[in-house]
Amino acid sequence: MNERNERIHGVACTFRKVSDVFHAAEKVRDAGWKNWDVHTPFPIHGMDQAMGLPRSPVPRLTLLGGVTGFITGCLLTWYMNSYDYPLIVGGKPYWSVIFPFPVLYECTILFAAFGTFFGQFIFNRLPRHNHPLFELPNFARVSDDTFMIVLEARDPQFHLDESRNFLQSLGGQEITVIRD
Amino acid sequence: MSTSSPHALTAHWKKFLAVGVVALAVVWYFAFAGVQHHDNRQALSVLVGSLFWAAVLIGMLMLTMITRVFDAGWAPLIRRNWELLIAGLPVVILVGIVPLAFLPDFRHAVWYWTDGSHVLPSGHEVGHDPILIAKSWFLNESFFLVRIALYVGVFGLLAALLRRWSFAQDTDRTAGHTHRLHAVSAVGIPLGAVTLTMLAFDCLMALSYHWFSTMYGVWFFALSIRLALAVTVILTYKLSNGGWLDGLLNQAHRHVLGCLMLAFTVFWAYISFSQYFLIYTANIPEETFWYNIREFDAATGLKNEWWGVSMYLIFGFFFLPFLSLLFYRTKIVAGRLLAVAWIILVGGIVDLWFNAIPRQVYEKSAPEGFVVTPFLTSSLFLDLLAIVGFGGIVFALFLRGAARQETIPVHDPRILESINYHE
Repeated sequence: MNERNERIHGVACTFRKVSDVFHAAEKVRDAGWKNWDVHTPFPIHGMDQAMGLPRSPVPRLTLLGGVTGFITGCLLTWYMNSYDYPLIVGGKPYWSVIFPFPVLYECTILFAAFGTFFGQFIFNRLPRHNHPLFELPNFARVSDDTFMIVLEARDPQFHLDESRNFLQSLGGQEITVIRD
Repeated sequence: MSTSSPHALTAHWKKFLAVGVVALAVVWYFAFAGVQHHDNRQALSVLVGSLFWAAVLIGMLMLTMITRVFDAGWAPLIRRNWELLIAGLPVVILVGIVPLAFLPDFRHAVWYWTDGSHVLPSGHEVGHDPILIAKSWFLNESFFLVRIALYVGVFGLLAALLRRWSFAQDTDRTAGHTHRLHAVSAVGIPLGAVTLTMLAFDCLMALSYHWFSTMYGVWFFALSIRLALAVTVILTYKLSNGGWLDGLLNQAHRHVLGCLMLAFTVFWAYISFSQYFLIYTANIPEETFWYNIREFDAATGLKNEWWGVSMYLIFGFFFLPFLSLLFYRTKIVAGRLLAVAWIILVGGIVDLWFNAIPRQVYEKSAPEGFVVTPFLTSSLFLDLLAIVGFGGIVFALFLRGAARQETIPVHDPRILESINYHE
């Protein structure tokens, strides 16, 4: 069993209507699946809830980046103006939180943007050059007029025949086994 | 309609009117008594109360026009409440700022540049002040009164047009009104921006007419939008619990209002800090005195009461709402958003105090020749009473309007999109 599963990526099935794929997604979610996905040609509002997806963890890295940037800006201006080469500019103190504030918030914004940009790469597992789904002959149609649900073999619930029957019971049209 | 209908609360308009009239009578009485005794602090209560609601309603007027121009899909459900409220905008200026400006005793007490015999900290009289003489092409009494009248006219006209065609759409169901309101808003946004800038210059910046800041109008705009959003969140919360938004206001509406509150909290901080930062960096005495009197005593150099107020603005009016609103759940959980809205509302009053109250008052015996108006006085209660009074008038008009007009813009082309708005 395990040996066969290693060569199988998962089972895909297509839907023709938004409402069909939406309700099918709700049933997959309720069945407790973890490793699965829905592919659609356009965003479907409410699909996040229908799939039971949690909110993106990217904002946490944004916050982390922002805090890091603020501290970096503080250290940068303090080290240069007050420690390494103390310099009086315009009668202002060597270091205070006021005069370098543009530097501090620009660093905050820059590092927060880094956190967001690289954070989405990390959580989307990018860059990735190929994917078994791309080998599917009808996969191009999910960017045109077809919706698709893919149950992945790495999910503990996955069992080739049962999963295939499950998708059939959801009203799927074409059911295809995807091989790695 | 049965008494348990969502519109039952419109019957309370007379109570709001009674509270407003009684409170304003008390405030005007104290202001009158104060002016008789050469004490201008109570007259400033009228100014603070009037400007607080003017700021709220100017913010709502601008939000109404901005959401019109951008065809915001979420807006119609909430915008109708703004349209009902902005009826009060010309009224709060008419019963607050207009009498202060047009009655000479009050005008001299509040805007001392209009009083030629007023003694400046330097010991000289205003009438012989070269700075005022240089600015007199703008700061002269007749032009000042014309401008005050213009503020009532421009805001009154914009509010009337935005209300009229929006209400007309409820009955005649034509989409043409939406296009017409588009055009009004496209013209109204720059017109409103210039008017609110001049209002802030005349009513607040001119309180210490030696001082000047080109960012002042933008600061007032940022404050207005923040206060407008805070009042909107509080009002829509009430209306969704037993009012006409019951069952209609959803999580996505709160989310969009929360996002706007976050954006304008950052914007307010950016503008307020930039104004401070440029003056701090340039370090020119004719600009820095405005911040100096808000930080320390000129003779001893020790921090004064206003320093505490400044710190409250930084931590209580910026960091607290900013850090709270960063979190998604603050924006969607009704109770949390409501708490942040109240924090912003209180902070807005403190910001008005910070801008309106502290001034250099000539005092011959003081080491530097002047004392600064103190923060902690019993007049703070009069300020709050003035805010209650003008608020009573605003909400009496709001509820009266709600009884006469549709409280949901039933034939707005985007009303379904607005009711079914999702993130």
